[in-house]
Amino acid sequence: MKRFEEFNFYEILEIPCNASTFQIREAYREALSIYSEDSLATYSLFTAEERHKILSRVEKAFNTLIDKKARDEYDKGLLSSGLIPEDQLERKDQKKPIPLFPRHDHTNDKAFLSKIRKRIEEEGERDLSGQIMAKEFISGNDLKRIRESLEVSLFDIYEVSRVSISTLEAIEGDQTENLPPDIYLVNFLKIYAELLQLDSKRIVDGYLKNIHSKNETQR
Amino acid sequence: MAMIYSIGGGKGGVGKSFITGNLGVVFAKQGKKVILIDLDLGGSNLHTFLGIQNPEASLHDFLTKKIGNLSQAATPTGIPGLSIICSMNCSLEIANLFHAQKQKIIKAIQKLPYDYILLDLGAGTNFNTLDFFLTSNEGIFIFTPEPTSIETTLRFIKAVFYRRLKQILKERPFHPMLKEFSEKFGDSTISLSSILEFVAEHDQDKGQLLFAKLKEYTFRFILNEFRKHTNPKLGENIEKVCNRHFYSRFQYLGSVSYDERVHDSVFSRKIYVNKYPYTPTATEIQQIGRKMTEDHLGIDIIWQQLP
Repeated sequence: MKRFEEFNFYEILEIPCNASTFQIREAYREALSIYSEDSLATYSLFTAEERHKILSRVEKAFNTLIDKKARDEYDKGLLSSGLIPEDQLERKDQKKPIPLFPRHDHTNDKAFLSKIRKRIEEEGERDLSGQIMAKEFISGNDLKRIRESLEVSLFDIYEVSRVSISTLEAIEGDQTENLPPDIYLVNFLKIYAELLQLDSKRIVDGYLKNIHSKNETQR
Repeated sequence: MAMIYSIGGGKGGVGKSFITGNLGVVFAKQGKKVILIDLDLGGSNLHTFLGIQNPEASLHDFLTKKIGNLSQAATPTGIPGLSIICSMNCSLEIANLFHAQKQKIIKAIQKLPYDYILLDLGAGTNFNTLDFFLTSNEGIFIFTPEPTSIETTLRFIKAVFYRRLKQILKERPFHPMLKEFSEKFGDSTISLSSILEFVAEHDQDKGQLLFAKLKEYTFRFILNEFRKHTNPKLGENIEKVCNRHFYSRFQYLGSVSYDERVHDSVFSRKIYVNKYPYTPTATEIQQIGRKMTEDHLGIDIIWQQLP
């Protein structure tokens, strides 16, 4: 039988070596309830000094295991001294808390932009965009053709710009009734054009002209 | 061979005699030959739980050599299979038993022809109580979920442990070491672990022997007067802590709920499990009895399978 002083941190908290953070927390609470000063189970069993020693060891076990970095280091120490077999350490993928708001990851932007830059250099797609940029009226379909020639999906644009896919579809489809008010539309178009490395001023002018002329003919 | 259970626990009034009497009835109902021995010398009252007032023979007759064999001191209780050895009419100084008398009783107990022998011990941690406790195959502690009771029970466990440790040390050639030890620490403030550490440091083999000897021992405990608001995990927690911090095996047998009717049964001098057999408290006692005997059956079966 091992003595308490010889227990490793997992044994102190009575958890398997691959315990999850949740298990560690529960075990810690349990240990405190047993060893704390006002616990009935260990009333008068230990002297104040012994109790202090035990509690500080429980505390240390918890603080080490709950901290991922410290735990990895501790595990390494246990492994190298052969106290636990390696296969016991394997932790299952732990559930992580779901963030309340999806956070925008900016590292993606750079990757996306460099991807587009590369495409443009490689395939000389400037021909198509040059043609379109020269036109007075630029339709949604023109934008779509440029986008598709660069092999960029709507979702990619949404990922980076956070302009919703339905809005993007409305823009590309010239769906005048679904388009946002001009003041927003201008900004969206600007973002769209900049992402595809186009002259944003030209695109905005051309697109608005096209839409307005369409509206007039409808009337 | 008879199975000897000693039932103790440091504090008075926690239900040692109550549990002893009722467990005896439970075992007898299983068809076993059971004898209860009241070893709460000087404070004996086990017979009253069973409604016995004037036993024909008692421990006193054995000690005064009126009868030669301890089994002749047994009195039937009226419950089939259950006998009792009372100690009510022993001398008023009986609590301070001489060493030779104690040895005589212990030897006689080990020879009794019964399936189960239950020893009802007194409160406190005097040598007599501890030695009677240590004659048994299995020691059972009774305590209630109160700090006072837990304190005395843990004290009792420590005292039993210490006594056992000293017994082991006396049996083997540890003397020179012990002398050195008592010179170093003095007798007053010795903790168990410090003794063990001391021995282990001085002589590894002997230290290991000591640990092995202590490991052979199994202590069981029952939580009596369990009430609704008590932490339901108290028993398990104590089991865990004892297993971790002492060096023997501890087993929690279960809890016995508090019941007002226990009082009635004592007043009417009828044993509780017979008077109120279908109460939760009685059921719990029966379960504990079953747990104790089942454990045993397991061992018996293993024995029989051996060539």
